[in-house]
Amino acid sequence: MNKLDSAATGEHNVNFRQIGKARTRTDSPGKVFGKTPYAGDYVMPDMLHARVLRAKVPSARMTRLDVSKARALPGVAAVLTFKDLKIGTVATDIPGQTGFKRRATDQQILVDELVRYQGEPIAIVAAETVEIAQHALSLIEVDLEPVPGVYNVFDAQKPDAPKVFGTDNLVASYKVRKGDVEVGFAAADVIVENTFTTQYIEHAFLEPEVGLGWEDEQGVINIRSSTQAVETFRYIADAMGLPHSKVRIRGALVGGGFGGKCDVTVELYIALLTKATGRPVRLGYSREDSFYGHGKRHPFIINHKTGFTRDGKITASKIDITSESGPYAFMSPYVLMYATEAGPGPYLVDHVHIDSRSIATNNMYTSAFRGFGATQACIAYEQQMDEAAKVLGIDRIELRRRNLLKTGDAIATGFKVQSAVWTEECMDRAMAALGEKPKDKGAIRYGHGLAAYQQGYGRMIWLHDTAEGWVGVEMDGTVLVRSGMTDIGAGQTSSLAQIAGELLGIDMMDITVYNSDSSTTPLAGTSSASRGLYMSGNAVRLAAEAVRDRLAARAAKHFGSTADDVDFANAQVFLKSDPRQTMPFKELVAVCASEGIHRAELAIFRAPFGDWIDPETGQGQVHPDYTYGAHAVQVAVDTETGEVTILKSIGAHDIGQAVNMAAVEGQIEGGVAQGHGYALSEELIYKDGYLVTPSLSEYLCPTSMDSPRIECIVLESRSGLGPFGAKGIGEPGHTPAAPAVANAVADAIGTRVFDFPLTPEKIANAVRKARKAG
Amino acid sequence: MFMNTNTRLVSPEFDYLQPKTLAEAFTMLADHGGSAKLLAGGTDLLVQMKMERQQPSHVISLSRVKELAGITEGDVLTIGATTSIRDVSRSGPVIAGYTALQEACNAYSTVSVMLMGTIGGNICNASPAADTAPALLVHDASAVLRSGKATRTVPLRDFFTGPGKTVIQPGEILTAVELPKPAKGTGSAFLKISRVVADISQVCVAVVLVRDGDTITDCRIALGSVGPTPMRMKQAVGALIGKRGTPEAFAAAADIVAKDITPITDVRATEKYRRHVSRIIARDALLTAWQRAAEGAAK
Repeated sequence: MNKLDSAATGEHNVNFRQIGKARTRTDSPGKVFGKTPYAGDYVMPDMLHARVLRAKVPSARMTRLDVSKARALPGVAAVLTFKDLKIGTVATDIPGQTGFKRRATDQQILVDELVRYQGEPIAIVAAETVEIAQHALSLIEVDLEPVPGVYNVFDAQKPDAPKVFGTDNLVASYKVRKGDVEVGFAAADVIVENTFTTQYIEHAFLEPEVGLGWEDEQGVINIRSSTQAVETFRYIADAMGLPHSKVRIRGALVGGGFGGKCDVTVELYIALLTKATGRPVRLGYSREDSFYGHGKRHPFIINHKTGFTRDGKITASKIDITSESGPYAFMSPYVLMYATEAGPGPYLVDHVHIDSRSIATNNMYTSAFRGFGATQACIAYEQQMDEAAKVLGIDRIELRRRNLLKTGDAIATGFKVQSAVWTEECMDRAMAALGEKPKDKGAIRYGHGLAAYQQGYGRMIWLHDTAEGWVGVEMDGTVLVRSGMTDIGAGQTSSLAQIAGELLGIDMMDITVYNSDSSTTPLAGTSSASRGLYMSGNAVRLAAEAVRDRLAARAAKHFGSTADDVDFANAQVFLKSDPRQTMPFKELVAVCASEGIHRAELAIFRAPFGDWIDPETGQGQVHPDYTYGAHAVQVAVDTETGEVTILKSIGAHDIGQAVNMAAVEGQIEGGVAQGHGYALSEELIYKDGYLVTPSLSEYLCPTSMDSPRIECIVLESRSGLGPFGAKGIGEPGHTPAAPAVANAVADAIGTRVFDFPLTPEKIANAVRKARKAG
Repeated sequence: MFMNTNTRLVSPEFDYLQPKTLAEAFTMLADHGGSAKLLAGGTDLLVQMKMERQQPSHVISLSRVKELAGITEGDVLTIGATTSIRDVSRSGPVIAGYTALQEACNAYSTVSVMLMGTIGGNICNASPAADTAPALLVHDASAVLRSGKATRTVPLRDFFTGPGKTVIQPGEILTAVELPKPAKGTGSAFLKISRVVADISQVCVAVVLVRDGDTITDCRIALGSVGPTPMRMKQAVGALIGKRGTPEAFAAAADIVAKDITPITDVRATEKYRRHVSRIIARDALLTAWQRAAEGAAK
């Protein structure tokens, strides 16, 4: 058993043959050689092409909708409006293998009366060519009479505000009451209060939403789409009044998701048009469709009031959180829950008081985005720690050190963390990797910044999350894995091969993984919530272990030994006690086959189940477990122009146990780059509900030319709940990236920009303001 | 406000023509007149077509007209109109004598866009933000405009007439830009402010300085993204010629630049920020060009 309180024990003492190594992923060769078909590459004979007509205004009443000219256009097979829908709404809740009764917060599929955001779909068209479909859209006559909308969360909370959602525009609200915050503030020598804001951002995956649907001989609507969640088949079936067994979603390898492909996107339109026409239908979003076609990252306004003793111990933390949900709920309540739970960060605070709410507006709706609210929380608590250090005159790292949570400490919700908490080790390693700060040159100032974090992995425990996985051995000794898990580019399927390969002694590259099919692969839930490896990795581990146990028992008989003594490696079976005694794996398999020994297993992994946290106090358990770590960044800031150059970026995480070290580093590097864009340049700007940055020409993602070399420091406590002690890393690789940049910029310029993104203009203004004041 | 749709498919309702010679191109241009568009690299035209801002009946690609591509050195440096930005940035004569242009090309965007975009396309599109325009202006470039009948050479300072507008007449094709040899003691520089590297400039500036010892004997300053066309800064130049090249003189000239420009507020930057950084990068470009002029003289 590893010690949980320190990483000083160094490398763990387990000799894995494949696990933990940096391996070429099983999906890499196909991608590198251009052979991997993505969802958009699939075509069928007699296929129709679809387009979506979207509202050009954010808040309106539809007074007329006439599609007759579009329907009459030669080459148009179908034009569907709300009048053609059996059921007008589709669920916008968490998909996946959860036993949770879904919320009654559905979204209209096509506008029937009110337009609630710019880009809301009004009609869908299927035609012989994309061009005809596009032409048909221009023939649809729509009269939209503007109605007053509400475009910021402050106005939306006023009593006389237009009602976008429910009776008060309140989508969700939570409370956390731990200890007595007044007692805590009374004990404080210094109180630091600041407000931090974050912006709307776009997932900007390389592959916009796309899919192809067809009806098969059993009357099943099949949809091949780019998705993080094949389980949305249930919502599509419900929305069409079909049995769940009559809708099948098959994924493909996905060109990026980041949470943006968890909700239903193109699938429902494809299904409706396939049903209406009886022909295969393909719908591929343009980049601009994608900007209007899926939920964004929530803007947050987070106020921190924190009490400290003079020597830097936090005595109380009062946090007020507001997120913007747009007109529909989608994942907003859950995202708010994550932000609330993560409120004070990876620090031990005895007295916590959090109020949070998610508010509806007529800006674009918001939903899942890597980190799921914990990201915005981190932006606030980590900037607050730096601001407090400045006020207290204590070194920023030291201030954190004095307050860090440790294993067994209670987080804001009172849950006591069970796994390793190596935040301190991660902070120290990350800062050491930054090295010395260069000397300032003229208008150029250098800054170092750090952000630590706490990020839950796996679903909230009241969702009763499960995942299934199947492992089987063919007659010739080759191995198959079946898992419903989607592969969104992070190496999900490859990791399953590596796990099964480790346990069965077969090289991962020799294992075939079938995944992402809602009808023929065992359902595993979404690739989101940093749960892919945690849940499906465990399910496949359980399945592989069961198969291995049966094979080992038969091998033991052959060797005249015990099953415990049998090991599997390099496609050989041998005795640990006497490795000269071997037999080829495929011979063992042939023996098992002839004797009817079951060479396959379907396993289910159940995450810890629990109840909702107490609604009055917010006390209880939210997540099964947490990942901890820290990012450090070195920047150069031109104090005249406000331009920021990121020179070094270090991500240090305790991930429990790496499965594929190369994939782990990929997650961290990608998370860092995405965080840099979040901090500095990316922003979806809505003016009165209109998107004024509607393409990648205005919405600015960093490219490789903007990115520094990124260094990953990966620690392995083997204390997580994932396979072999792994923790989640999909979201954590991103969570602290942006606030680390913000803290480095503030360090460089000696003042802070409190609202994201930190554009050169805001930075230059802050510098000038500080100089005037100072 | 309407949604942009610039990754949409281009509507195929146009004819695509590929002349092999300039003569053929002139004939096609004459036949199809105002509803035809010339295609060089396509980095602007195709975007405009996708956004339905341009709906030409005929697209005449110049990619097969060999005489339009390439760089030749004579009394002047002639850069063929369809020479890619990438080729300009890697040309020996450009590297040796036209630093501002080379820097502008290097700042153009990503490699893929540099490989597609052409120098002729960049100036004919006449975007106020065209990176090569301020550089060509300060290098005193001229545009060579040919029609089926005649050739005329227009100084680039007279070339731009408004956003997207130039002096090119129907039937004319920009065949090349010509850059005079730099005078002895010339130094130049180009600077650009953008939010990410692969972005259109918020502001860009190009400077040429000619020095004789400590005296500025000639100077040209031009900025992009600060007015309806790429702008030359006559007032600031007037304040420098004949003066000693000192940091104070350059700072004072940069102040004049910041006053003379006419920037707007848009999604990329505010008017205020554009003025602020124009002053800074004009000053820095002047200082850099001044130092380079001394290094050139030392050779």
